[in-house]
Amino acid sequence: MSKKLKIIGTPVPKHDAKMRTTGEAIYGHDIKLPNMLYGAILRTQHPHAEFIIDVSEAKKLPGVVCIITADDVDTNHIGYKRDHPILKKNEANCTRDEIAAVAAETKEIAQEALKLIKVKYKVKKGLYNPHDALKKNVPQINKFSSGKFENKNIAEKFFYEHGNLEQEKKNSVAIVKRKFTLPRMTHACMATSNITAHYTKTNGKLLLYSSTQVPFLYQRDMAHALKMNPSDIRIIQPIIGGGFGSKLDMHPFEPICALLSIKTGKPVQILYSREEEFIASPTRQPMEIELTAGVDKNGNFTFREIEIIKDNGAYTSWGATTPFVIMQAFSSLYKIKACRFNALAVYTNNVFAGSFRGYGNPQATFALERVIDLLADEIGMDKAEIRLRNANTKGEITGQGLHYDTCGHKECLQTVIKKLKVEKKKVEKNNRFKRGIGYASMLHVGGGAKIYRSDGCGTTLKIDPYGFCTIITGSNEIGQGSETVLAMIAAEELGIELSKIKVINTDTDVKPWDVGVHASRTSFVAGNSLLGAINILKEKLNNKAAKLLNEKTKSFTYENGNIISPSNQQIALDKVVREMHFTEPNELAIASYFYEPSSKFQDKDFKGNVSGTYAFASQSISVEVDTYTGNVQVLDIHVAQDVGKVLNPLLLDGQIHGGILQGVGYALTEELIFKDGELLNPNFHNYKMLTAADVPNIHFYPVETNDKQGPYGAKGVGEAPLIPTAAAIANAVCNALDIEIVELPITPERVLKAIAEKKNNKKNK
Amino acid sequence: MEFEIESPKNITELCKTIKSYRSKSFRFGAGYTDLLMELKKHTPRNLTVINLAQLKDVSFSSIRSTTKNIQIGAMITASKLVTDTRIEQLFPVLQQAAHNLASTQIRQVATLGGNMCTASPSGDLICAAMALQASCEIMNDDKKIHNLSIQDFFIGVRKTALKKNEFLFAINIPRNKKRTATLHSGFIKIGTRKSMECSVVSLAFHLQIDKTGKIIDAGIAIGASAPTVKFAQSACQFLIGKKINSFSEKEKEEFANKVLSYASPISDIRATAWYRKEVLFNISKGVLE
Amino acid sequence: MEITFTLNGKKTICHIKVSTTLLELLRETLNLTGTKPGCHEGECGACTVLINGKSVNSCLYLALNTNGKEITTIEGLTKPNGGLDEVQESMIKNGAVQCGFCTSGMVLNIKALQLETMQNKKVPGSGIKNSPNRNEIKKWLEGNLCRCTGYVKIIDAAEEVFNKGK
Repeated sequence: MSKKLKIIGTPVPKHDAKMRTTGEAIYGHDIKLPNMLYGAILRTQHPHAEFIIDVSEAKKLPGVVCIITADDVDTNHIGYKRDHPILKKNEANCTRDEIAAVAAETKEIAQEALKLIKVKYKVKKGLYNPHDALKKNVPQINKFSSGKFENKNIAEKFFYEHGNLEQEKKNSVAIVKRKFTLPRMTHACMATSNITAHYTKTNGKLLLYSSTQVPFLYQRDMAHALKMNPSDIRIIQPIIGGGFGSKLDMHPFEPICALLSIKTGKPVQILYSREEEFIASPTRQPMEIELTAGVDKNGNFTFREIEIIKDNGAYTSWGATTPFVIMQAFSSLYKIKACRFNALAVYTNNVFAGSFRGYGNPQATFALERVIDLLADEIGMDKAEIRLRNANTKGEITGQGLHYDTCGHKECLQTVIKKLKVEKKKVEKNNRFKRGIGYASMLHVGGGAKIYRSDGCGTTLKIDPYGFCTIITGSNEIGQGSETVLAMIAAEELGIELSKIKVINTDTDVKPWDVGVHASRTSFVAGNSLLGAINILKEKLNNKAAKLLNEKTKSFTYENGNIISPSNQQIALDKVVREMHFTEPNELAIASYFYEPSSKFQDKDFKGNVSGTYAFASQSISVEVDTYTGNVQVLDIHVAQDVGKVLNPLLLDGQIHGGILQGVGYALTEELIFKDGELLNPNFHNYKMLTAADVPNIHFYPVETNDKQGPYGAKGVGEAPLIPTAAAIANAVCNALDIEIVELPITPERVLKAIAEKKNNKKNK
Repeated sequence: MEFEIESPKNITELCKTIKSYRSKSFRFGAGYTDLLMELKKHTPRNLTVINLAQLKDVSFSSIRSTTKNIQIGAMITASKLVTDTRIEQLFPVLQQAAHNLASTQIRQVATLGGNMCTASPSGDLICAAMALQASCEIMNDDKKIHNLSIQDFFIGVRKTALKKNEFLFAINIPRNKKRTATLHSGFIKIGTRKSMECSVVSLAFHLQIDKTGKIIDAGIAIGASAPTVKFAQSACQFLIGKKINSFSEKEKEEFANKVLSYASPISDIRATAWYRKEVLFNISKGVLE
Repeated sequence: MEITFTLNGKKTICHIKVSTTLLELLRETLNLTGTKPGCHEGECGACTVLINGKSVNSCLYLALNTNGKEITTIEGLTKPNGGLDEVQESMIKNGAVQCGFCTSGMVLNIKALQLETMQNKKVPGSGIKNSPNRNEIKKWLEGNLCRCTGYVKIIDAAEEVFNKGK
């Protein structure tokens, strides 16, 4: 685009920041409808047990309106593999399992009723380790699974390969093999899960105030679960208090709430307590990754061989599909001649994971980047140099078939290496505090990801007779600022003030189809969709303006609310719209467009160009480790990210900082701790999310590669910042202490243990 | 959460209230940061909370200087301990412990008395007060006061020596031995994050040093290492009379081992006993570095 | 029981159950939903309000103990003409708001620090000072969790408020 941009690229504050700063924004927790009942869910007391349930006492409690168990409902199973009953009958298979639900006049009565439900449990020994679940002669954990694999407890399998692995092994001068263990981390959105369901008996319509991030898929899933017509379900999204992937799956509490409303004919609201949020909302997928990788005598990477065992939990969610992304990192981050990838998702009696910002990529990148450091050590090459040598480049088509039309990998690496080098000089080591540095890069989809039949987004654009513009978009706002970016695009292209642009995006009865918020796709896909609609609308406006101005030209510019001809004749935009409406041929200033990215659905071998474009990022991190306590202090994080083009630096910074701190938490402090399937730390006190006091210095350098496919050249940015952080921190800690880390989080205790082991090893030698 | 409440307005009313509840179940509520958490999880039937938050008596919530002591009322909030100039100058260990307690919002309401009477093994203010060798001023429902050394105040996990008709009125911290003494005083709190932690291990130290560099008095206490906070008597004795800058590596380790001898930590989800001991040894050594 | 307090500048009388928390009173009885319920255990700070100018977690504060006190919620920070407080302005300008669920509590806690330093010429824990530095701001905000922003822009926003005062 040759034209000088006026609004795109400027730090426009969030469109809706004001109402979120004054308390005026209405979140799911703030909704109160007339005659609304409060729902509550009874979960199993034991992760694995048979049970008999008796709700008769609870039903007698005054104020209780409805109690449901599996026997009272006729529903289909939910989940990515449809292996998840909404209410569990006779058998509980994980600590989250919903076994009954209550609707009552007050929250207190609903809670009281839960206590009155009598459940007799016959506790069974569960399988809490995927290796145990794979053994012969163990029970089938999920009775509803397809059972299409050789082992009944395998939920899903992935195999991918490219290149000649055996040959590349021979070409390697050094081969490193390590097994890494990745924990369960949880989204911990500041607003707990919530839903308000309102079923109208007279017309059979169900209205859901839901914070799903994929309303159209959700509408379809909900209809399937409840055996309803999808179009009879209307989803309105209130303001959402945090997403990060947690709201990609539909969770049992949502159809449960709908069922309570259907049974009672009244609005019903379910709000999770914080404890319930920790127990019953999804997590990042825990897994073991065994990675074998090689390097040739010149320092070129040769092959990667990967064996992954993922703990699927008792049911299958979107989280089971994370290998799509994991294999992409292994097959295509840095140039790699051969790759063989095996992943198993194994049912256990643990809680199931879902999707979480990064979608498997932080796990993969941790393993991959740790092994790069070890390979560099093996051949005595500098850790920066080995990365630069193997970095991805523009024009590359990877073994998996990803097309890097633009690629800022090398520039990202060079930037963060240079910036940290300056600092390295300041590094002093003394006995107690040790400093180290680490690098890591990442590759992620930057133009959506075609994992559904369409990765598209629709837009309807309208200009009213007063010169205000309404963007009706299929995409969603979950706090990331998509509304603002869309408003900026419309303002840029139509010459309309930002304050005159409205974004409508919360109602499935109104907005056009979109696949949802995931894969860092919204600015890219919804932005392109809007640009498509703008082009169509401009054609109509241009025609009318030409007529009104008596101009032959069709190339007008739009500025300050006016349409201007090349000969500098101008007419007010609102006037053109009025003339469109009120003079023949009497038409609306309205246009619709559906954008579908050029990406391809991958073939059965997982090959194909799955995204419109790809994002790259590198981070270099310095840490100081207190060898007395094991505490790791992150000093500086340098991050360079190929964002294609900066659309709004203020919002971009927000995505970078927020992602990185989640990455630091993943690296150092955050872990859901389970014992025999039961969660031991369901609270902010013992689930250690980082606080303001822990924030390191974050230095961000955007790299602009101007991708032809992106709106103004932009790529997706949302997930990337957290992906390499844990890897770079682990590398820095290993560098500081000369130890090995194969497990996250790097807690003070794990650091001291590693130091102690190193001492012991030395003694034994 | 269902309970009854009594809100006495002064100590006379408070004593009367306590007397009238002699045979009933009641709890004291001061800052409520621990109590409400507990009651939200489980409230016993027929519980009354005796609400101390509306007491008007200044003596209960102020810091007073006497010739021998600094007396701190039990209803002093952690944030007052942070901002009080006397505490800052005379007892840095206490100021630091208060400043690292939970969060700004919690410190505005959490009280010294609440922290003491909850008697958690990881109570930060307890640990600091013990290093300062404070004594407890206990009042009964006849308004009679008696003193108890802080070490005798704690008798087990979440158990104090208080009888049902008694409450903690204040603590007395003896003034530093010499005005001219230099202080080496601080609070070390071990946790995963920098803030919002419940101590995994804590170490409070308050060393008084004369002009020649000699340690003339020492108080060392450890938290989250035993059923109660512990005063490390033998470690203190080891230090007194020695020069602060002259410790050899071996002496530092000897000192650390003496501190460690008071520790009998447990393993829980926050850390193993191994880690607690390891760290305690290391940070004890660190005090002399 | 009956309690009387000043809420956002207005004398307010309420009848409450003795065990009612201030958070419940604000959200459920008085419909002031700007105060957010994040955890109900004093760990996240989303429900922070000002009591006599000090920031407090309303989820761990008994409503009956507000008797005779002055309460400010996020709704009370907006001026009657709809104008915003400088802390709110700074949060918006600095891009410190994403999902916004922590924002009410953040704004009020920054406000509390501003009041504290203005009145006492003191930054708690740091001696006599007219305004806090970046580290002191970070420490002060330790009890307000945020999952979206990584805190950086929030700290920037607070810093700008204090730098203006210099």
